[in-house]
Amino acid sequence: MRMFGKAGKAAAVAAIAALALTGCGRAETPSTGGSSEGTGGFAQDSAIGVALPKKTSENWVLAEKLFNDGLTSAGFKPTVQFANNGVAEQQNQISAMISKGAKVIIVGALDGSQLGTQLQQAKDAGATIIAYDRLLLNTENVDYYVAYDNFKVGELQGQALLDGMKAKKPAGPYNIELLAGSPDDANAKVFFDGAMKVLKPKIDDGTLKVLSGQTTFEKAVTQDWKAENAQRRMDTLLTGSYGTESLDGVLSPNDTLARAVITSVKAAGKPLPVITGQDSEEESVKSILAGEQYSTINKDTRKLVEHAIVMVKDLQAGKTPEINDDKSYDNGVKTVPAFLLPPVIVTAENVKTAYTDDPVLGPLTK
Amino acid sequence: MTSQTTHTDPVILEMRSITKEFPGVKALSEVSLRVKAGEVHAICGENGAGKSTLMKVLSGVYPFGSYDGDIVYQGQTQQFRDIRASEQAGIVIIHQELALIPELSIMENIFLGNEPTKRGVIDWAEARIRSTELLARVGLRENPDTPIKEIGVGKQQLVEIAKALNKSVKILILDEPTAALNESDSQHLLDLILGLKGRGITSIIISHKLNEIEQIADSITIIRDGKSIETLNVKADGVDEDRIIKGMVGRTLESRFPDHTPKIGEVFFEVKDWTVAHPQIQDRLVCKGSNFFVRRGEIVGFAGLMGAGRTELARSVFGRSYGHFVSGQVYIHGKETALKNVPQAIDAGLGYVTEDRKSLGLNLLDDIKTTTVSANLQKISKRSVVDTDKEFAVAEQYRKSLRTKAPSVQEGVAKLSGGNQQKVVLAKWMFTDPELLILDEPTRGIDVGAKYEIYGIIQQLANQGKGVIVISSELPELLGLSDRIYTIFEGAITGVLDKAEASQESLMKLMTSARKAA
Amino acid sequence: MNALKKLFGGDTRQFGMIFALVALILLFQWLTGGITLTPGNVINLFNGNSYILILAIGMVLVIIAGHIDLSVGSVAAFVGMVVAIAMRDWNLPWFLAILLGLGLGALIGAWHGWWTAYVGIPAFIVTLAGMLIFRGAQQFVGQSNSIPVPREFQFIGAGYLPEIGPNTGFNNLTLLLGLAAAAFVVIGEVRRRRSAKALGAEVPETWVMVLKLVLICGAILYATYLFATGRPGTSFPIPGLILAVLVLVYGFISSKTVVGRHVYAVGGNRHAAELSGVKSKKINFLVMMNMSIIAGLAGMIFVARSTSAGPSDGTGWELDAIAAVFIGGAAVTGGVGTVIGSIVGGLVMAVLNNGLQLLSVGADWQSMIKGLVLLVAVAIDVYNKSQGRASIIGLMMKNFNRSSNGPGTPLQPDEVTSTKATISREA
Repeated sequence: MRMFGKAGKAAAVAAIAALALTGCGRAETPSTGGSSEGTGGFAQDSAIGVALPKKTSENWVLAEKLFNDGLTSAGFKPTVQFANNGVAEQQNQISAMISKGAKVIIVGALDGSQLGTQLQQAKDAGATIIAYDRLLLNTENVDYYVAYDNFKVGELQGQALLDGMKAKKPAGPYNIELLAGSPDDANAKVFFDGAMKVLKPKIDDGTLKVLSGQTTFEKAVTQDWKAENAQRRMDTLLTGSYGTESLDGVLSPNDTLARAVITSVKAAGKPLPVITGQDSEEESVKSILAGEQYSTINKDTRKLVEHAIVMVKDLQAGKTPEINDDKSYDNGVKTVPAFLLPPVIVTAENVKTAYTDDPVLGPLTK
Repeated sequence: MTSQTTHTDPVILEMRSITKEFPGVKALSEVSLRVKAGEVHAICGENGAGKSTLMKVLSGVYPFGSYDGDIVYQGQTQQFRDIRASEQAGIVIIHQELALIPELSIMENIFLGNEPTKRGVIDWAEARIRSTELLARVGLRENPDTPIKEIGVGKQQLVEIAKALNKSVKILILDEPTAALNESDSQHLLDLILGLKGRGITSIIISHKLNEIEQIADSITIIRDGKSIETLNVKADGVDEDRIIKGMVGRTLESRFPDHTPKIGEVFFEVKDWTVAHPQIQDRLVCKGSNFFVRRGEIVGFAGLMGAGRTELARSVFGRSYGHFVSGQVYIHGKETALKNVPQAIDAGLGYVTEDRKSLGLNLLDDIKTTTVSANLQKISKRSVVDTDKEFAVAEQYRKSLRTKAPSVQEGVAKLSGGNQQKVVLAKWMFTDPELLILDEPTRGIDVGAKYEIYGIIQQLANQGKGVIVISSELPELLGLSDRIYTIFEGAITGVLDKAEASQESLMKLMTSARKAA
Repeated sequence: MNALKKLFGGDTRQFGMIFALVALILLFQWLTGGITLTPGNVINLFNGNSYILILAIGMVLVIIAGHIDLSVGSVAAFVGMVVAIAMRDWNLPWFLAILLGLGLGALIGAWHGWWTAYVGIPAFIVTLAGMLIFRGAQQFVGQSNSIPVPREFQFIGAGYLPEIGPNTGFNNLTLLLGLAAAAFVVIGEVRRRRSAKALGAEVPETWVMVLKLVLICGAILYATYLFATGRPGTSFPIPGLILAVLVLVYGFISSKTVVGRHVYAVGGNRHAAELSGVKSKKINFLVMMNMSIIAGLAGMIFVARSTSAGPSDGTGWELDAIAAVFIGGAAVTGGVGTVIGSIVGGLVMAVLNNGLQLLSVGADWQSMIKGLVLLVAVAIDVYNKSQGRASIIGLMMKNFNRSSNGPGTPLQPDEVTSTKATISREA
């Protein structure tokens, strides 16, 4: 292409300069739409966006269904989407939800700190943002947080690990290994810190030994929460450090990874250690019944989704949603008002009673 | 000569009114061919006449339906859908470029696609017995386990024939079978074809080597411009080479070269003690201490058999674009000049037109104008930005002056005929305004008319005071064109003859012996 | 058919893609009930895909030169992460950080270029190694954490042209930009026509040119209208501006400069190029180096838009960029492709993504649909080449015109037999 003439260029520059001198272009009109105080309310049949992370565990699949069913039956028009191809996809999905005029956007973030621009857009477009399960970081544009108490989850996991090993072998020292979740999931560090609050003193006094020496979060991470990554790391640890030594316990942050550990240990021909978990996945509940996995956490997705939908309904009606924690969750910019649900530890002892309300797990544990 | 045409042979194959069109081109027009059982039938014609296309129609490379006309084989009309179908009928084609896999053994190649199996597993014992038999039939004494890459081209050709025999061939089509073979290998192959004829196998042979055709063919069908011109019976019609050439070009070749009076000036380009090693095998010398010079306005020929080191010499001088430089100097206007890479050589006023137009000379994705300016973009650029108007004008100017046949300079070079492609390549180098232009097989794959024009261009360059080196396998071309001819044998220059003293005989002697000329 | 051909300068292949893009946009406009062509969505479309489109610009040059670069995602992520850390930990001002990022990209590119061009290792291998190396390096320097970037830096990924001038109800700068672009196209076309006429080349009829200009300017002005009338505070996005500048610069380089010609020459036939005096190693080096610089830029834009650099940034970008280039008409074997074609190819993918998201189609289905679109686009191209036709539009019009001179027509196979009759006769 040819550059346009000198005269044309000069004219364009002059025009821009003239405009610049005369001052401001369009006046900023104040943003309208639902305020975060939730006093306005919105139409019963509004669009609601739900942006979920990667479809890597049963819980997310279940959440998709529950959101779709729950929001539809409440009269809303839900859009529920997974970001299987990464953060960029989730960003574009949230943008698309804004284009569709979503009044509330529920975000289960893939990386809670990488959505700032889209959340700002959503806010400008008048949407209310609820962080679901994972906190949204470094942004003022998050209104509520609904989740299970994740630090508590970690503490329960740590305690379960100790209890389990004590039941097998009354006196220490115990050899354990630590697994953490994906580093881009804000909760992963919270789980790990919770567990370490219980385990760290025991490591320091010698009751617990981590033969691989990998005791920090950075070394224990499992990228993308992928079972294959955990299994690969476990294989390496077993060959590297447990040729002759026995492995007594493994801290696993969730059930998918716990089962990966079991696979790895079995493949190595070692006796199964005490293994923790989380999420109450069907396969892991079966595994607990069979005496393989030691524990899981019951964070009933139904209750969490249910509560998120209650929040949406409150906002629709113009009410302020209920919260029960307004000081713990500082996202770097503001303290996000949160509603926390209590997690429940499940081991072989209470597995039969823990899921009585659950339509899938209930019959399984009868 | 061993041909026997005493008893009347039945016709085994008849191709009737074959017409094959490619978009925009009629490659074959109403071509007919009658081949008698058990004969050696030659097909002659210039490059582009349609010989290969006709054979591709016959062997199913161009499937039934993509051409008009009938193929009647053993009394039945055939509709070959692919090459497999024709092979099953007993028609096997051996292409110019051999279809063997270098890494596999002779035996594996013979049975490729046709493996003897026992319950779905290859029966190598059976394969070994049969391949030994087949190799004996073609007279090849080699271990069947030898990888193809370790035997010479001549032997590879025999493996191809063994492969064909394994498919119980009735008609064997050989496309330029001896093009890449030396004299004794060629003779062995020709004997083998006659031997197969003795066993009742019909052969169709395409060859440019008219002496070979004269030697083994029973009948000759001549094709010109996509039409079958005539079929000659070698014995009965008393056919000789001149007769074949007359049929091929449609006239007798009298003046193949334009008139030209050389205006030769002083020596301006000289190469001394030029020694170059093979690019991979460093102790093998491809040029051995060569000395030569070129004068202004002079056309210098380089004669040598294939593989003698002509191209290697030319390319190594042209900015060391071939081989591993060992020693030697280049003097331009008496000054020693380093030509370490192609850009330096171009800057020093050299141009090189390669013998391998398609893989080394042209970017077939380009159009005429891009190609024309590609070796001298600086000339039409200002601060590294190409002036496309100038590009168009330059290309158009050359298109007109060289009479390149193309609708416009925006035409892709891939769509041009060989002669017109060569003109574009010549234009590209003329645009660099070289002092010395090296032309490597400048008329290869080009038909007679275009050849004449290219000779004219070469002479015109010489008239402008440029030096021209012409490398060619065609001695008449060198004799007609050159003012002086160097001969090369096994990498060394064995002699130099002036136009007056050069003849085919004297050149041939120097091309085939290490004897240093006086 | 002929008129259509003339309309688009004979390059019907490119027209086919543009036609497909327009059709796709209209289809989604209808399916989504008019949401597709709203200012907000069009802005999102550009913002959310600018980094892929930018990568496609570098990638098309790599592919034209006959290579491939699998490392762009990792390199983008690595550069983004280093830049984020530099700003957070060393308090580097944002403009220096951008320079640092570009410099780092150049360094990485030089590494890839050196192995590819001078050592002679295939780019596929070199960049596969680079993909692993720089992914790891990114996670190492970032400790697998997300690192926020300051607000001023976010401007390059999430900023808009500012509001200046009188209150016209439009964003004035966007308006000016659109008008300038339209004027640019008109002046360019008129000039090209004039010089073609002067050279005696064939030029299409006046009405063809006028219609072409009306269509193009119409599209530009409509886009301008959309960008200029978005929610106050938004206008033509900065990443879009960067993209536009890069398209102009690289479009110019690839078609009008000596270096650009050499890239095509090396990709089309390296040996022929070398024998014409092209320094192919230098070209390969430059192309690979350029790719990584562009990857670095794309990484920074993404980080700016995401407000922080994260450990899984850039995963799969190489494939998106490569897909865009191939949909845009480049050939796997090199030598063929255009910058503008790749942008159109990238936009086809972007519109598809956006439209499917607006329709709430799941990621699983999106992935399948995108895969099929890639396959079909390239298959149509391959089919047309084998048929001697040029494009989708050629395919649609084939019953109306049995034109025999489509590009890429294989002529009668050339017999390259060396005629050595004389030698053998004498010997």
